[in-house]
Amino acid sequence: MAEIEYVRPVNLKDALNFLWNHGEDTKIIAGGTDVMIDVRSGALDKKYLLDISRMDELKGIELNDQGLCVGAGVTLSEIYSSDLLESNALALKKTAYNFAGKQIRNMATIGGNVANSSPCGDTLPALSVHRAKALVADKKSTRLVPVEEMATHAYISSLSPKQIIIKFILTPYQDGFADFQKIGRRRELAVSRISMAVFAKKDKEGRIAFLKFALGACTPVPHNMELMEKFLTGKTPTRELIWEAGGLLAQKMIEITGRRSSTIYKEPAIQGLFMRMLYPVVK
Amino acid sequence: MIKSQYKSIGKNIQRRDVSGKIKGDSQFCADIELKDSISLKVLRSGRHHAVIENIDVAEAMKIPGVLKVFTARDIPGENLMGIINRDQPLLAHGKVRSKADPVALVAALTDDIALKALKAVDVTYTDLVPLLDIEDALAENAPKIHEKGNTLFTRRIIKGDAKTAFEDCHSIVEKQYKTLAIEHNYIEPDAGAGFVDEDGTLVIYASTQNPHYDHQEVVNMLGVEESRVRIIQAVTGGGFGSKLDLNVQGFIGLALYHLKRPVRYIYTREESYLATAKRHPFIIDMKTGTDKNGKLIAIKMRACCNTGAYGSYGIAVATRAAVHGTGPYQIEHVDLECSCVYTNLTFCGAMRGFGTPQAAFAHESQIDIHAQKLGIDPLEIRIINGLKKGSINGTGQKLTDSVGFHDCLKSVKPYYEKASKDWVKQKTSPFIKRGIGLGGMWYGIGNTGVQNPSTARIEIDLKGRVTLFTGCADIGQGSTTILSQIAAEVLGILPEQVRMVVGDTKLTANAGATSASRQTYISGNAVKDAAEKLASVLLTAGVNKLKVSKSMLEFKDHCIRVSGNPNKSVDFAWLAQRIHAKGGSLSWQGYFDPETIPFDPETGQGTPYSTYAFACQLAFVEADVLTGEVNVKKIVAAHDVGKAVHPENVIGQICGGIAMGVGFALMEEFEFGKTESMKDYHIPTCADMPEVIPIIVESDEPTGPFGAKGVGEPALIPTAPAILNALNNALGKRIYNLPANLERVLKASIESGHFSPK
Amino acid sequence: MVNIKFKINGQKKALNIHDDMTALAVIRSLLKLTGTKEGCGIGECGACTINVDGKAVNSCLMLGAQLDGTTVVTVEGLAAKDGLAPVQKAFIENHGVQCGFCTPGILMSVNALLQEIPDPGHEEISKTLAGNLCRCTGYSQIFTSVKEAARLAGQGDQHG
Repeated sequence: MAEIEYVRPVNLKDALNFLWNHGEDTKIIAGGTDVMIDVRSGALDKKYLLDISRMDELKGIELNDQGLCVGAGVTLSEIYSSDLLESNALALKKTAYNFAGKQIRNMATIGGNVANSSPCGDTLPALSVHRAKALVADKKSTRLVPVEEMATHAYISSLSPKQIIIKFILTPYQDGFADFQKIGRRRELAVSRISMAVFAKKDKEGRIAFLKFALGACTPVPHNMELMEKFLTGKTPTRELIWEAGGLLAQKMIEITGRRSSTIYKEPAIQGLFMRMLYPVVK
Repeated sequence: MIKSQYKSIGKNIQRRDVSGKIKGDSQFCADIELKDSISLKVLRSGRHHAVIENIDVAEAMKIPGVLKVFTARDIPGENLMGIINRDQPLLAHGKVRSKADPVALVAALTDDIALKALKAVDVTYTDLVPLLDIEDALAENAPKIHEKGNTLFTRRIIKGDAKTAFEDCHSIVEKQYKTLAIEHNYIEPDAGAGFVDEDGTLVIYASTQNPHYDHQEVVNMLGVEESRVRIIQAVTGGGFGSKLDLNVQGFIGLALYHLKRPVRYIYTREESYLATAKRHPFIIDMKTGTDKNGKLIAIKMRACCNTGAYGSYGIAVATRAAVHGTGPYQIEHVDLECSCVYTNLTFCGAMRGFGTPQAAFAHESQIDIHAQKLGIDPLEIRIINGLKKGSINGTGQKLTDSVGFHDCLKSVKPYYEKASKDWVKQKTSPFIKRGIGLGGMWYGIGNTGVQNPSTARIEIDLKGRVTLFTGCADIGQGSTTILSQIAAEVLGILPEQVRMVVGDTKLTANAGATSASRQTYISGNAVKDAAEKLASVLLTAGVNKLKVSKSMLEFKDHCIRVSGNPNKSVDFAWLAQRIHAKGGSLSWQGYFDPETIPFDPETGQGTPYSTYAFACQLAFVEADVLTGEVNVKKIVAAHDVGKAVHPENVIGQICGGIAMGVGFALMEEFEFGKTESMKDYHIPTCADMPEVIPIIVESDEPTGPFGAKGVGEPALIPTAPAILNALNNALGKRIYNLPANLERVLKASIESGHFSPK
Repeated sequence: MVNIKFKINGQKKALNIHDDMTALAVIRSLLKLTGTKEGCGIGECGACTINVDGKAVNSCLMLGAQLDGTTVVTVEGLAAKDGLAPVQKAFIENHGVQCGFCTPGILMSVNALLQEIPDPGHEEISKTLAGNLCRCTGYSQIFTSVKEAARLAGQGDQHG
């Protein structure tokens, strides 16, 4: 294998130009926390490593008329310390708090996490809850892709080799109940076995007026869990109702994946984690 | 001497080697820079069990930069290793017995070339039936992994008549317990380096727990004079038992022997996982019986551990599991048996506790089940049965001194009673169940029923400077500091004034392995012996000068003086010169071998250890009944260590042992063939650690140096049992297989009816 | 090959490195700063933690080329010429070191933490140290050391 060549364009335009010509032979590197593992193992069979970690065009978090924009090059640490995300996308901020270890949070980017298409990618549930769309560009065009469509299979991205994720545009939600929870084999530094994000609001009568929910790590690619929204909206959240909803969620997961050896655990644990996470909204 | 008069013992002095470690100057094996050193890599078989038909290295040798590809034929001496039974070749000969078996060793200019060469070595195998678990290995027509058969060893301990005694028992509990393989996971991956010095000596830097054993193995392997090989223990990044076996020393020795140029071999974490020893998985069937008051009357244990392809320390593991099967309890009728069986997995060896942690999981579960059945408090039943001065253990040994188990129980009691009343009952989340649990343990210090001496040498030079030479490997536990304290205490100098020469087979005497929690007790005694011999000649010289009897002299500030009189003193330099002038020796050897009596081969009766450590830990756990997550909130850990030579080091061992115990209890499982790197294997992070309340119990051991015993392994042993008993307390459902992972805890929650929205 | 310029432990460096080299390899193999350790090679253990522009990162997961233009501190750069840094003193005095292999990485995580949060609480220390595995100490004396380091560093600031 020929030695890989490192390329660091000065701006996005040059990067897109490069990919237009060499995309098939190129691996994009941002934070590097996933890519470097393949570099070490020799699994990366590309000619070029294109470093986009310093591009201003991919940085920044702002609320504008497009929505809540989070640059693809924003690190998990930056997400955690953003006041804007605290008030408009709390579940994402909580995700960042529980993401890997601090050294990795300092390097890993939200764009990289999505592009890597790991079923266990922790940013996916919160992005999904906020109905995030990725702004994806190549040299000639840009388009908006719902985050659920960013992966076609586990670890296979729907991005073409010529494309870069510029940013994510989220629907901001304020003043409701927002959370992200995960289960791993230890309390920190664990790959998610199950993760979940939610945003919910109740009306004056205590009924669920608005709910967005997403499940992570249980299905090969993210799935829209609108059934939870449909089932719970307009109802008064009781323990029994949340429990029932958690059961539905587990059945939905099994519908997607079929029964596997891990289902023995995941079926009840999904119901359990859903109950635990939504318990604060129970009247 | 009165305790309060100790000047060095019991003091939290600065760790000897800490300055280099804190500045990044310490040279671990991978940090040693040898000019123009070449790389070594091993080709591993990648198959469980096969006959090697042919090894063709011709293509590999053609690759530019490849210096040599070694196979078993290139080993000039004995191609077998093993500290207890010699059954492990350095390079496979005739057949391979596990996927990790080394088949060829490549020496090349760089790692990359060496890796390329590995792919070019062409080995022809004929596969044999792989035997992956104990059942397969013991099946009637199972092929033999080693010529002598698949059962390596069985240890029996028989006292009284357990079979008859069970007939009269009021409460009988019979259960099966299982534990899995565990990876030591020291943070320093195994590594080594070496060169040939100007005298033609092969100098090998090793990350090791036993440099003098490494030396013997390399000497045997190469068939050379002892003086031709020198092992220097580099700064060692943890061991926990795995670095008792050779990792790369043999490969480095072989390459040095043939190529005579500097070499290095650094395992990747993946190779360290694949190729080094693991903790033995166990299956333990245990039956215990008590009278109606909860007094244990009889025990029967049938245990079996899977040692994988080679014995390593398997015999010691099986022996310890048998001896310690009773737990720290007096039981009249004992029928214990533990076997060790070969399979085609990566070999298992020593790991912190040698089978005792596995046995403790069983006996501590059993005693809690009895307590529950009989309506006796778990602490009370341990008090009823606990070993004390005068008790006779399962091997028929009467315990005469330093039996601090009841003191440990007493120390834990206030925490236990308060927690039972308050903490357990406090409401938290509706989905959290709290529980507390006790874990007791005992642990024989030193090797089991065999000689395991330590030697040490101490010298004084003509300037009065004292140097201690010891082969005792400090792998992070702090033995170098401890031994300097012991020497300093005897000689009335400061520990930092004792110059230490450690773990270098050219300079040091054999102190035996850093294992079995033996170095403070055994090497500590050897050092004390050497220091006392030196002290004695210094005193004799002092008598001549100061004209008073020995009994009126004392050591003070690098001098000998008339007790309490600073004006009548003579310094070490003068004394050393005087002794030297008179033709006396300035170098003294110390020796200690604990008194043991070998097992009776049939009944296992004997005196396996000359002293035991005891402990009791109390775990506070919270179990999430909806997800199976467990949070260990607090552990109160009372340890009888004899005398704490360095209390902060003892606390460091206790906290470190608890961390390893938390991993053993809840999350660690090494799956052969699946666990490849640290992404697959979870050791506790700081966030998984409970608050630890360490309690040091001191029951002076008369044969110990200043009363000291040991703590390294005892620190770990009670943790998992305490956590598992606490989980049972929380959920009302017992888990019999370790680890109590998410799946098992959630299952227990479901079966006990806690998994519900209420 | 790639040319990189960066500052490490106060010294300017200009190097020509292999494109796929990790920052860890640059530091250990080229610069011979072997205080930074490799424990796992895949960002799980934290033994290779260094500070890049004030942030703790795993140098095994950082491309060497990405060091270009940065300011790096490794364990060798912690101590001032006239003595040990407060964090080093605190780890010695509070017995935060056993085998010492994880120690450099832990010190670098703590160094970055104390620059960010001079007086961290238990949770903040825990969130920081979770990315540094230690198999010897059980972390308890490390927590004590970090709290003491914060206190010592705070005192230094007042005097300075």
